[in-house]
Amino acid sequence: MDFYGEVVSLTFKVVGKSIPRIDGLIKASGEAQYAFDLEIPGMLWAKLVRSTIAHGIIKKIDYSEALKVKGVVAVVTGKDLPYKLGIYVGDRDVLAVDRVLWYGQPVVAVVADSLEAAEEAAEKVVVEYEPLPAVLDPEEALKPDAPLLHPKLGEYRRAPGFNPIPGTNIASKYELKKGDPEKAFKEADVVIENKFKAPMVSHVYLETMNVIAWYHRDGTIEIWSSAQSPFAVRYLMSASLGIPLHKIIIHRPFIGGGFGGKAGLNLEPLVALLSKHAGYRPVRLLLSREENFYIAPVRTGIIAYIKTGARKDGRIIAHDSTYIFDSGGYADYAVNVARAAWYKCTGPYDIPNVHCISMAVYTNKVYATAFRGFGHMEFHWAVERQLDILAHELGIDPLEIRLKNALLPGKGVLPTGEKLREDAGRLDQCLIEAAKAIDWGKPPEKPKEPWKVRGKGIAALYKGPAEPPNAAASAIVKFNEDGSVDVLVGTTDYGQGTITSLAQIVAEELGLPIEKVHVRFYLDTDANAYTWQTVGSRSTFQDGNAVLMAARDAKRKILEIASQVLHVRPENLELRDEKVCVKGEPWECVSLQEVVFGYTYPNGHTVGGPVIGVGYHMPERRTYLDPTTGRAPDGSPGAPTIFITFGAQAVEIELDLLTGKVEILRYAGAFDIGKAINPLLVKGQIYGGAVMAMSLGLFEELKYGKDGRLLNPNLTDYKVARAGDIPKKMIPIIIENPQADGPYGARGLAENVMIALPAAIANAIYNATGVNIYEMPMTPENILKAIKEQKPELIEKAKKALMEYLEKKG
Amino acid sequence: MSLILPKFEYYKPSTLDEALELLAKFKGDARILAGGTDLIVDLRSRIKKPKAVIDIKGIKELHKLEYIEGKGLIVGATVTLNELLEHPIVKSKFHVLYDSVRQLADMQLRNRATLVGNICNASPAADSAPALLVLDAKVKAVSKRGERVIEIKDFFKWVKKTALEPDEMVTEVFIPEPPEGSRGKYYKATRNVEDLAIVGVAGLVAYPNEPSKRIVRLAYASVAPTPIRIYEVEELFKRDEPLPKLIDEAVNIALRKVSPITDVRGSDWYRRHLVDVLTRKLLIELFLEG
Repeated sequence: MDFYGEVVSLTFKVVGKSIPRIDGLIKASGEAQYAFDLEIPGMLWAKLVRSTIAHGIIKKIDYSEALKVKGVVAVVTGKDLPYKLGIYVGDRDVLAVDRVLWYGQPVVAVVADSLEAAEEAAEKVVVEYEPLPAVLDPEEALKPDAPLLHPKLGEYRRAPGFNPIPGTNIASKYELKKGDPEKAFKEADVVIENKFKAPMVSHVYLETMNVIAWYHRDGTIEIWSSAQSPFAVRYLMSASLGIPLHKIIIHRPFIGGGFGGKAGLNLEPLVALLSKHAGYRPVRLLLSREENFYIAPVRTGIIAYIKTGARKDGRIIAHDSTYIFDSGGYADYAVNVARAAWYKCTGPYDIPNVHCISMAVYTNKVYATAFRGFGHMEFHWAVERQLDILAHELGIDPLEIRLKNALLPGKGVLPTGEKLREDAGRLDQCLIEAAKAIDWGKPPEKPKEPWKVRGKGIAALYKGPAEPPNAAASAIVKFNEDGSVDVLVGTTDYGQGTITSLAQIVAEELGLPIEKVHVRFYLDTDANAYTWQTVGSRSTFQDGNAVLMAARDAKRKILEIASQVLHVRPENLELRDEKVCVKGEPWECVSLQEVVFGYTYPNGHTVGGPVIGVGYHMPERRTYLDPTTGRAPDGSPGAPTIFITFGAQAVEIELDLLTGKVEILRYAGAFDIGKAINPLLVKGQIYGGAVMAMSLGLFEELKYGKDGRLLNPNLTDYKVARAGDIPKKMIPIIIENPQADGPYGARGLAENVMIALPAAIANAIYNATGVNIYEMPMTPENILKAIKEQKPELIEKAKKALMEYLEKKG
Repeated sequence: MSLILPKFEYYKPSTLDEALELLAKFKGDARILAGGTDLIVDLRSRIKKPKAVIDIKGIKELHKLEYIEGKGLIVGATVTLNELLEHPIVKSKFHVLYDSVRQLADMQLRNRATLVGNICNASPAADSAPALLVLDAKVKAVSKRGERVIEIKDFFKWVKKTALEPDEMVTEVFIPEPPEGSRGKYYKATRNVEDLAIVGVAGLVAYPNEPSKRIVRLAYASVAPTPIRIYEVEELFKRDEPLPKLIDEAVNIALRKVSPITDVRGSDWYRRHLVDVLTRKLLIELFLEG
């Protein structure tokens, strides 16, 4: 029964069907408009002057020569923009004020009537610095004598539940305890301790950051931005600049990728203020790929320490971890990334005794933000590698040890003390299905070349949306004169396929063909329905539920009108095939078109009016968390996420012992998503996420010189997977154990498809070689180095095999 | 890196004489534009700030790709890498060149990039260079003063430096017929499927089983300030000794001759390791094929 008392049909007409994405054609044809494509007559161009040191005091800025360049309208420095920005900790300057925190930080902005003039003038700005010692490693930054990046940390505005430690470089710190870990470690048969690392990486979205802003004379600000979460941009700008929300309008065209990198507030306030400084003229700022590498936020790096205590039979009884997230120069989302890793610190396992510390630490690098997976890939890298190491220590199969400790619905207890809901996803099924798909237990075939080896690896994962307990979503379903509908939502579809699945939900509920449902692609904050943000794989669940409620609201209104026309109670009517019919007498109908704008009687009288359905979704029974305990503020179990999507990822790899190069021969990913609204798009996510995760696991890393300078600010040397790197065999597995409060039982998926794959690859490398990898990325050189350190004889053996190959064949 | 190009004068001559005239006039302050895949990047990053850019794509005679039986292959300055790959004789006769160009950058870039541009850019990582080195290619350099032929081994002077005078340009590369019965191959170690070489090794082998007639040539990319051919191994293989022993010795010689650096693509340690294993692999495959 749903909340209007109707029996929910188990056979769907539109939901569950593999419909190609409805925004696909105009994207492929080039008709879709991006912020890059837009132009406003009279628009000015901005160019940023960036810091040339990693840490220091700005002594003097001389832009007198820049002002002389023909076409220059304004030159603006940090002192001209006295606002502090920040989502959770208000630590960020619009442009650097007094102090620069990383090599490449914007210091001065030049506005001119052409890009050429802006670039020429920017080159003429002279900034003098007094260098300070820079700290690039977050562990170094924790030392008492480390240079302090934010001496005024204690004075910054902060959101509830965040915990900066003034006088240190800790942007936020969290700790929790469950059971009695000290005692449990004493009782354990085996205790292992390891350290794992993952570097900062770039999102490498196709469309670099770009914003057009127009500060109008009436005090309203219009912004066109490649932003994932336009309502968050509006809210955070309003809070930072002290401007009422309705005076800020964010226009969000199509956006060319985001992956979390465009989730927060980025260049928008800067460009808005530049527009004001330039005399209320529209200003564009567009970053080149190289500028994007220096200026735009990146993914957190991690240093993770884990200690695990287990019984001989493989049952884990104690977990103690410290996750140190590299936040770069500002806190931004990194403090929430560290928080999400904290309350999910054990990985998807039911461990009775737990102690976890997690923190985000300032370093002199570009700041870190959200990234598809939100810290979970980083700490799962540690947890899932650790578990394999434990399995080998105990002589237990890696699949078996996971099944033995898996968090299971209605039984498992999360680190915050929350019991896993009864209708949660089934990790055990995911593990078994993923393992089966790569013939787990059967040794790999022998490689053709004797200097290569093969191995299999598996890793598990879990994640839910990391968001406040009151993060809302809403939706509007508006009927048109001909019985078609326009749907207004707040979420951004930059490839996930959300727009299509939301259209399917509306079509299903209203008995419409999908062609009659239009979900607005473009978004304006003063026209669309609100959603908190497009992050955390929350859209299908939250915006989906909001759309479902809005469709049902519209349906109720339609039935009320039709009830007066057909002279039966609304509950005795049903929507089918674009008609409202009397239940049991399907020939007694009125067409949808006749009632959705009010019904007009033959004599001209009317009843009802245009039908507009509204809906919302709020997280239910979620709590804030005390950063020192992980419990709710009243001490009861902490309940941070609205759902958890479990999954397992398994690979078979081939490793060349001569070069260190890894190839994924086959990949299987199994995820319990409750219900696939659109299986085709779900598979698309599983494929795409695997490629992205493989790329991060094998290739990607932001490399910094000793002076803090980024060494690979381009796609020549920041390697991202190309078409030729894609594994040839990928097996997507969809598991559907529905969650009662999800739309048709669905849970989110878009991030989960990423999380455990690098660990699975490393586990397969161990399986093939007996060599443990502790650090990402697993480049050929890094793998070979690990082999050389742990099992140098393998390389010698491979070389010998190569020479014997000649003798044998020759 | 800037979003836009710096200011320069743009010329698109339709004859070679006009181009040479311009080169003489700008005295080294002009740059040749063919594929532009290196030049445009260097302009955007302001590594190069020439007064003039001379686009040679309008000069018909430079778009020459001709095979003369018994002599060799002529590759004009505006012949793109994909045009080269599509020429059947390149695949059937000039294996090592085909194999290296096939692995050079990616499909989109090969549609524009030229062989002559690849060597004139003189990157230590130039993929076509080791192949041209083992094939004894000859570079035709032309200026208003006349023309000369530069042996490919004398063409590369240092990182991004060639033997060209400021008023000279390369009009074509001549690649003589490879030794009879020879096979060639290029091995390229990369971080992912499309990358600059961490190490590139080109090899050419003929008569592997007849020591007196045996020819073995090896050349490398990304292990020294320029692409290098290691001539010292060539005499070695004339010896009538077991091949594994000769390969061991060749690897030792190669390791003595290379001077790799540590950079963002790889450490000197890893590059040396790759020189070792890739040389072995390459020779073994060529010996087995022969």
